[in-house]
Amino acid sequence: MTSDKTDQQREFEREALPHLDTVYRVALRLCGDPTRADDLTQETMLKAYRAWHQYKRGTNARAWLLTILRHTFINEYRRQKNRGIPVDIDEVEHFTVFENVNDVDPEGQFFDRIVDAEVLQAIDNLPDDFRECIILSDMEGLSYAEIADVAGVPVGTVKSRLFRARQALQKQLYDYAVEMGYIKPTAP
Amino acid sequence: MTRSPKPIGCAQAVEHLYELLDHELTPDLEARVRAHFEECKRCYPLYRFESGFKRFLAARTETRRAPDELRRKIFERIMFEDPPDE
Repeated sequence: MTSDKTDQQREFEREALPHLDTVYRVALRLCGDPTRADDLTQETMLKAYRAWHQYKRGTNARAWLLTILRHTFINEYRRQKNRGIPVDIDEVEHFTVFENVNDVDPEGQFFDRIVDAEVLQAIDNLPDDFRECIILSDMEGLSYAEIADVAGVPVGTVKSRLFRARQALQKQLYDYAVEMGYIKPTAP
Repeated sequence: MTRSPKPIGCAQAVEHLYELLDHELTPDLEARVRAHFEECKRCYPLYRFESGFKRFLAARTETRRAPDELRRKIFERIMFEDPPDE
């Protein structure tokens, strides 16, 4: 019925479409390239529209859309990208940037000299599960509970991934800053 | 009756640092963790470093909007799509 269709559309427009920018930004950082991000965003929004009857009214539409985005990405979009340096997240745990810069640059001012593209590249180099946490928390401001909901993991896992992701990101940016001469490495 | 927050040690405060910065602690624990970082000379630099990094990250990943063309495409596809199954 035409009127039903219009109601559904109106509701979808009101509740889901305001989160389009969020979906797009997360898609962009998950895929790492704008063309695939466009496709992933489009597919996510269409799937969401077709499954709109499954959305529980009054719950978190943003988290619901991001869950659909995540599943679509994992099932159809995740494949090896040409990444700069693959980051070994376990290795990072033995290195704390703060302890290495505390004597020379305790406020981490060297970060400010790093260009935006390099920061985004460093985020893109993180393994998927860790990148996802940084994107959802630091870029989109989701709570730990919301991230746990989207990723389908316990809150404790979100906390630990976020910790390791931030440390790994700092390490990459620190290495880059050392390479560029923005900061002197501490003597071994 | 007011109680001053029960002090916590360095290790516990550091363990909760990201939760403090992410506003994930209960008000009571937040007050105790915050008080520790404000008063402990040894831990405060770490707090300053990590909160600075968080601000840096937010500034560098500034909000980007979905392209207008993509917005239009999605809108049109939904307009012409058959109604979702009930």
